[in-house]
Amino acid sequence: MDKKLAFWFDIADCSGCLACVVACQDQNDFKAPDMALRQVSSLEKGEYPATIANISLACMHCGDAPCLMVCPTGAIFRHNATGVVDVNRDICIGCHSCEMACPFGAPKFAQDGKMIKCDLCITRIENGMKPACVHTCTTGALRFGYIDDLAAEKTRSASIKILESSKEK
Amino acid sequence: MALNKTLLKINKIPGDETGIEIKKTICGICEGSTTSCGVNAYIKDGRVIKVEGMPEFPQNQGTLCAKGNASRQYIYNKERILAPLRRVGKRGSSDFEEIGWDEAYDTIAEKLLQIKAETGPESVVFGAGFTKWLRPFAQRLGISFGSPNFATESSTCFFATEVAAKLTYGYWGGPDLSNSGCLLVWSKNVFFSATPLAKKLISAWKNGLKIIEVSPMATHLTRYADVRLGLRPGTDGALALGMAHIIIKEGLHDAKFVAEWTTGFDEYTAYVEKFTPEKTAAITGVPASFIKRAARLYAGANASSIMTSASPTVHHTNGVQNHRAIIALCGLTGNFDRPGGNYVVPETWNHVGTGVTTRHHEFTFPRSFDEMPPRVGADQFPIWTSLINESQSMYLPQQILSQKPYPIRGLVAFGYNHRMWPGSDVFLKALGKLDIFVDIDLFMTDTARQADIVLPACSSFERSQLHFYPGNHVIYTQPAIDPLGESKPDSEIIFDLAKRIAPDDDLMQHGYEACLDWVLKPAGLTVEQLKRHPSGLTISNASMPPYRKYEEGGFPTPTGKMEFVSSLLRQAGIQPLPVYNEPALSPHSEPVLAEQFPLVLGTGTRLPMYMHSRTFRNKWNRDLHPHPTITIGSRDAASRGISDLDDVILATPRSSMQVKARVTDTICPGVVNIYHGWSEIEVNHLFEPDYLDPISGFPGFKSLLCEVKKVLH
Repeated sequence: MDKKLAFWFDIADCSGCLACVVACQDQNDFKAPDMALRQVSSLEKGEYPATIANISLACMHCGDAPCLMVCPTGAIFRHNATGVVDVNRDICIGCHSCEMACPFGAPKFAQDGKMIKCDLCITRIENGMKPACVHTCTTGALRFGYIDDLAAEKTRSASIKILESSKEK
Repeated sequence: MALNKTLLKINKIPGDETGIEIKKTICGICEGSTTSCGVNAYIKDGRVIKVEGMPEFPQNQGTLCAKGNASRQYIYNKERILAPLRRVGKRGSSDFEEIGWDEAYDTIAEKLLQIKAETGPESVVFGAGFTKWLRPFAQRLGISFGSPNFATESSTCFFATEVAAKLTYGYWGGPDLSNSGCLLVWSKNVFFSATPLAKKLISAWKNGLKIIEVSPMATHLTRYADVRLGLRPGTDGALALGMAHIIIKEGLHDAKFVAEWTTGFDEYTAYVEKFTPEKTAAITGVPASFIKRAARLYAGANASSIMTSASPTVHHTNGVQNHRAIIALCGLTGNFDRPGGNYVVPETWNHVGTGVTTRHHEFTFPRSFDEMPPRVGADQFPIWTSLINESQSMYLPQQILSQKPYPIRGLVAFGYNHRMWPGSDVFLKALGKLDIFVDIDLFMTDTARQADIVLPACSSFERSQLHFYPGNHVIYTQPAIDPLGESKPDSEIIFDLAKRIAPDDDLMQHGYEACLDWVLKPAGLTVEQLKRHPSGLTISNASMPPYRKYEEGGFPTPTGKMEFVSSLLRQAGIQPLPVYNEPALSPHSEPVLAEQFPLVLGTGTRLPMYMHSRTFRNKWNRDLHPHPTITIGSRDAASRGISDLDDVILATPRSSMQVKARVTDTICPGVVNIYHGWSEIEVNHLFEPDYLDPISGFPGFKSLLCEVKKVLH
């Protein structure tokens, strides 16, 4: 693998606006709600005024993907160049093993009984575009990129925060 | 290679290989100065196959909300009307027959001209529901026909804030965010209602902007707020007066501005003296210490601005005075029309202000209201009528039913929704009395079913539309697809009608684009020029107006100053200070009734997937929030034996209905919210038709008394 592509999600800025869910449905022509490959969940904490945390979740394209390991036909595969976990629907037998193995509920099943999952809009990325959900994100909470770059950016912005707060003191 | 082509097709990659083309348009779901997002429409064989936000569009910079992303389900909805229809059955039934456009126009024109001859042109009302983009043309059509009556949804949205501003300052401006040190967000959830502002707000916060949030609900904004004031709905005025009390007492006001540029400060000071933090806390439910912190933060920052919304502050029977008390804080602290404060930018076109000058006013109002009979609501709401260039729609049903002071017999309405009116059943009844009701809509709505003629309009993707944006961006869109069926852009319908009912309007006879050229002339822009810029054009040499415009010639108020004490209200015999009175129905104003109905009801709080009634038909939106649902606090729910997602009865003194309950601790205890616009329940039946602010005529949609009971199955 050259460099691994990944989603990057900032839980602090996600407003729960659900734009990413519908953008995914529009990109993939899905007809029903549970067929969105990205789901947003909200969690309230504490008494009034409770704080709200939102999380937008899709396939994590795990480095050690359980779905890939349990797939009996080898339908689930990894793109060598990017690390994106994808499914070859021609050889999927719809056994749901991946669904049981996945800790995030990412694999979904279409009307033909076969698995369908987020491929990080890899074809869009290869054509110079962003994944549909990232493109539409209204707060910038959802991004994508090479995982090394994303980590480096996190380190940088965390460092600046620490330095700034130490300056104030 | 074949596999590659399939992948490109499945993934909707534009290009020669797939035959997919991107066309530029704007979203028409929620229209306004902070929305109307730029859209890339992916077109294949004349159909939209995908949408996404236009990255190069300054307004939304590629983003699009949950509603905009469902545009295809709006455009290609099975409920679209595809041909002009004439009612053949009873009003309210679905019994219509298709007719040709000419027959439809001729039928309408004949009837309208007959009414004009018999009882005068004022007996015909022209109007619009939420739809905004067509209003200058529709209003001009009505005026050229001879009617002063243009009745829109703005009689219950936004314009009451303008009434408050005009009474106090003569004009108003939004926050000058990039120069602000502190932003007082008074009940606006931009993350759901104005998503193009979301990134801008977060970025300003990351650069040090202090935020004060005023809201009866904890929202995503709360995370960024230094102080959150969780008030009881409808007590906004008391809260603002309580903040003014601290500001004046601690000498944090701008004494120089107040002395030079305001009137009535002494009376105001004497009045706010009563609003001690303790008393304010008792009225609003906000702890005294929070009120002090907010007042000090707002008044103490280098420059502070106020962000208000269209309705939460004015959907109360005390709304205008509440809003006046809020915006008075701006002048009190010298933040009016200064860098980082609330910056006045004059209107360019259709209520959007930019540095570009057009003839929008001259176009919309070819004749003065003085030359025409009084507008609907003029006797009941004279302050409204003197400050707002429209009729007060909330009085329309009463005038249709009473025929006083003159009969209303015809209604030509673009996207009317009877659920806009409090006591919406009364408005439905009134519609039945009309000689002719013409509704122009995309869908066969419950209101359209009342019409005699229904004309099929089309979506923003199917038309050409002029839109200005803050930041001096302007677009004149080209249709991304042909109108579906026989539907037409509203503009075409208006100009077709003008040929028949306003033949003396020479300018309109030249057509839509000629009128736009006429409007744009002072800006040195033409329709042809704008067509060459499919993503719109940023007018880089537009000269933004200076700050502190009042220094040249004063404020546009009767005294030329900012009026703490309003001369217009005093003349009208209304309390001229921004006084606080309880909402007409509140636990404090009606304690006996509140024993039976102890909870405060607010309707219309924004959800991310709905915009009024517009996107209920979109399955992707509907699936995200399928049922009419109240939000209720956990303690209020527990004391009633209500669990999350239980069926409950929501009751007010006027009506009741079964809904679902969502138990949440994001809502202020004692308060219940429900979204409006559902077709399976009639939320506005809960309100009396005369539950209105006497100054603006705005309904008290956000403070009523109610009770909630669990349904026992």
